[in-house]
Amino acid sequence: RLIYELLFQIIRKALTEEKQVSTKTSAADLVTETDHFVENLIISVLKEKFPSHRFIAEESTAAGSKCVLTDSPTWIIDPVDGTCNFVHRFPTVAVSIGFAVNKELEFGVIYHCTEERLYTGRRGQGAFCNDKRLQVSKETDISKALILTEIGPKRDPATLKLFLGNIERLLKAQAHGVRVIGSSTLALCHLASGAADAYYQFGLHCWDLAAATVIIREAGGTVIDTSGGPLDLMSCRVVAAGTREMAMFIAQEIQTIHYRRDDEN
Amino acid sequence: MSDPWQECMDYAVTLAKKAGEIIRGALKEEKSIMIKSSPVDLVTETDQKVENFIISLIKEKYPSHSFIGEESVAAGEGSILTDNPTWIIDPIDGTTNFVHRFPFVAVSIGFVVNKKIEFGIVYSCVEDKMYTARRGKGAFCNGQKLKVSGQEDITKSLLVTELGSNRDPETIKIVLSNMERLLSIPIHGIRAVGTAAVNMCLVAAGGADAYYEMGIHCWDMAGAGIIITEAGGVLLDVSGGPFDLMSRRIIAASSRPIAERIAKALQIIPLKRDDATN
Repeated sequence: RLIYELLFQIIRKALTEEKQVSTKTSAADLVTETDHFVENLIISVLKEKFPSHRFIAEESTAAGSKCVLTDSPTWIIDPVDGTCNFVHRFPTVAVSIGFAVNKELEFGVIYHCTEERLYTGRRGQGAFCNDKRLQVSKETDISKALILTEIGPKRDPATLKLFLGNIERLLKAQAHGVRVIGSSTLALCHLASGAADAYYQFGLHCWDLAAATVIIREAGGTVIDTSGGPLDLMSCRVVAAGTREMAMFIAQEIQTIHYRRDDEN
Repeated sequence: MSDPWQECMDYAVTLAKKAGEIIRGALKEEKSIMIKSSPVDLVTETDQKVENFIISLIKEKYPSHSFIGEESVAAGEGSILTDNPTWIIDPIDGTTNFVHRFPFVAVSIGFVVNKKIEFGIVYSCVEDKMYTARRGKGAFCNGQKLKVSGQEDITKSLLVTELGSNRDPETIKIVLSNMERLLSIPIHGIRAVGTAAVNMCLVAAGGADAYYEMGIHCWDMAGAGIIITEAGGVLLDVSGGPFDLMSRRIIAASSRPIAERIAKALQIIPLKRDDATN
């Protein structure tokens, strides 16, 4: 818990200051010093306490670390989820820490920095937000669904056409609405709390999925691959919903936007 | 000389707070949902209850004032704006969010005299954020002064908009192609939280650089519009001309260059004005 207090102070402070911003894979894929600083802090603190554990983290991967999940106890970290929001001071920013052993996701923690909400999930022990138990929505009908998504980093014309085309299909199916808040982990937490009925995205990463998957499943929800098959943590795509029916409907409706896998070289 | 409308404004803040309490209470309960102009244009008893609450209390204190309220208009009341002091009210902006318990729901009150917005109040009641602005006196959120981002470069901008409640295929095509054009400029991104009033307040607070939408109503814009201008932002019509409260459309931006660049990218959706008489 102490680590979080420190981290959140850092991020909150950084949220009010000027930022040096760079880009990664595209003009919309941003990173700042705070991303690096927070990641290094988390990893060094954990390494000290658990010297044999492994790490998969966003900025280390960008710097060249391999993104392969082994059987070893592994921490899967997004130091600042919603970096674009962070840069703009759009108040939806989170720290996400997931943990896997024998390639199985064991627990996850997501902290909403400006709202001071801590989402947690431990396999077999339920999911919570600040001690309140989380329960997904039981909606199965697309025409009563509130859906969340994110645009993803690719902005080429073909990708945009597919992205907007997917929204068009869901609106035509009479979904109540589609929301975009700029942080995939927090959007997935809204799903876990029952405030939305489904989430889908192409172009997110294993460090966005690791913690949220446990939280959603422990809240009673379904997390699968966009093909309708089981979740593939390194595939950079996901469909999550309160019910299996909702998840399968969306998986069938949406067209694939291709992204390189996290474990591809 | 004292401010003739300050008392009205203080009263409006009190009412917005109380309305927010009613909404927060209702959020915990089951809801009966009805529909209005389309199967995704939702309304609940809480919308109606909150609007009646606000209007009856204002009528008691200011019996000569006029009202334009979302649910009253839906029930057949007029929506012509005169010079008379007029309260323009959206009891729950973000009813779809309210129905789903998605935590962006606001009470919006705009006060207009001689067709000029004098003050605006937007209470984002789940977040407990009270946004206010009095003409000439600045914009605030929970006592903190608001300032827009000032961003002038569209390629570094974060925009907010909504998909709307119109499910007519032609309209959906225009809405999405407008987004496509903007995303292709390129810009940093687009956000949609589900309420026009809160979207606009996020721009006023500097968290986003502009909001645009076609298809909303005067009661969605009257409260937040002045919050944006008092925070240093600009309001523009989607055609690039001056903002028109009854036109059903708006660009609210942190700077004129951003507003004008957005206007250039938008294909206009034909809409019936709020003050149309047929």
